[in-house]
Amino acid sequence: MNPVNPAAPGSPAAPGSPAGSATRAGSATPAAPALAVRGLSVAYGDMVAVHDATFSIAAGEACAITGPNGNGKSSLLMGIAGLIRRRGRVEIFGAVAPSGDVRWAARHGLTLVPERRQLYPGLSALDNIMLGCYCWTSSLRRARNSRPFGTAIDLFPELKGQLRQQAGTLSGGQQQMVAIMRGLASDPKILAVDEPCLGLAEAVARRVYAALAEIHEAGTTLIVVEEAPKRALTICNRRVEVRNGVVLDTP
Amino acid sequence: MKLGNLIIAGLTTGSIYAVFAVCVSVWYRVSNILNLAVGDFAMAGALGVDNLYRVKSWPLPAAIAATLAVVIVFAYLYDLVVLRLAQDGPRRQEGIVITFFFTFALSFFIDGVAKILFGTDVHAAPALWNGGSLTVASSLHIERAGVLVLACALIIGSAFWLYIRYTLGGKAMEACGENPLGARIAGIDTRRYRRHIFVGTAVIAAVFGIVESPITGFTYLSGATISLTGFIAAAYGGFRKPGRALLAGLAIGILEALLGGYVSAEYGDTVLYAILAALVLGWPRAMGFESAVSG
Repeated sequence: MNPVNPAAPGSPAAPGSPAGSATRAGSATPAAPALAVRGLSVAYGDMVAVHDATFSIAAGEACAITGPNGNGKSSLLMGIAGLIRRRGRVEIFGAVAPSGDVRWAARHGLTLVPERRQLYPGLSALDNIMLGCYCWTSSLRRARNSRPFGTAIDLFPELKGQLRQQAGTLSGGQQQMVAIMRGLASDPKILAVDEPCLGLAEAVARRVYAALAEIHEAGTTLIVVEEAPKRALTICNRRVEVRNGVVLDTP
Repeated sequence: MKLGNLIIAGLTTGSIYAVFAVCVSVWYRVSNILNLAVGDFAMAGALGVDNLYRVKSWPLPAAIAATLAVVIVFAYLYDLVVLRLAQDGPRRQEGIVITFFFTFALSFFIDGVAKILFGTDVHAAPALWNGGSLTVASSLHIERAGVLVLACALIIGSAFWLYIRYTLGGKAMEACGENPLGARIAGIDTRRYRRHIFVGTAVIAAVFGIVESPITGFTYLSGATISLTGFIAAAYGGFRKPGRALLAGLAIGILEALLGGYVSAEYGDTVLYAILAALVLGWPRAMGFESAVSG
């Protein structure tokens, strides 16, 4: 299997990172894909969840990762982000990502909005979003005044009244919005969203997808994991299918 | 004037509760583990300094430095070996085992070693601020060690409160306990936070033990009692809020002194715990117990 390397990236990733963010990605060659995965395997003990996955995503693309439940979509994504142990090679904008280092991946532009949101229920929604900035600053004031934080807050203006509320007391849809805002506050060049509409009402799901489309249009490379590809393919121009832990690349 | 002196005595014991309550709740906030060994670190600090200074005739600063160094190394190794395996290892432990067992065992272990090293008598580190008690307004008597103890409590409690409220690092620390996986997704090194706070609170406890021991005196068994009182005050902060744990500790101390002075010296503690139990039953949510129990 050869990595697919599309010649023309749709729109280049937005240059410029928040003040102080050490992003070496900019020094990579312009031809380097946003994300290149080669021979990636993830196993839980003896159970192999992802087997020898190879694919790449160009900067500015929106890619849907689809496949039935339990076939390894989330494991693939968590392996790429460095949350679980993996074998194989992951490159973010040409830089090789060390295994198991989520902070490195986040600082180099790859942020995960995980399945089931994984918020901090006892903290306010605002603190949840602000902690997205943690990967590039340790200063509360710099985080609050930064461009990525502002962008995140403006993404869902309807949530402004509830930002002081504990995240655990928000509705499922609102929590999903907060999770996406937290992801955006890390100033991602690649945003990987895992099952964003799980358990959400149709209207809320549409709202979430509108926001994801907005993020993509602003120049962020987007990866969306969905069991049902129908909705994902409304905003994605690329599809990677995962079946039984094996990745089938369908450009 | 009796009231004034009782309040001063209450503030002193309350400070002791408060410091351990703050240590317990800060580390619980990071790791979801209740540190039942925090009092034993205090005991080890006090008796270690006493032993080096009085028995081995070391100079006081060297005795303090050596004792704290041992506490740091020991706490670091304990986290590195036991807690890391328990929380991050291939055989992760969860629930009541991790919540209580590991630090409870640690508490017994430290007690056992202390018994061999320091014997079973009551000892105390030398007073750091010598002199008779201070007299204010002609009849209020304040022990010098009491002033130090109160100052320690206020500094430690408010420092953690400010850290959590006004820094991103403090919020990241909270996130570690709220949702470890979610914290790692944001790039937070949960393991490093847990280790720093564990070692940090062990050192705070040891320092506080040294400062406080001239008031109460320590035996090798004192640690468990102290942990328990801190534990109760921490419960009133839901094990998660160091600011509230500080205030709860001070309030319980004052209440205890007032009950002892006005109600009954013998049954003061019984009445105190009856009141505390009634508060928990009446307003569990306001007391923060709900979150503590459900985790």
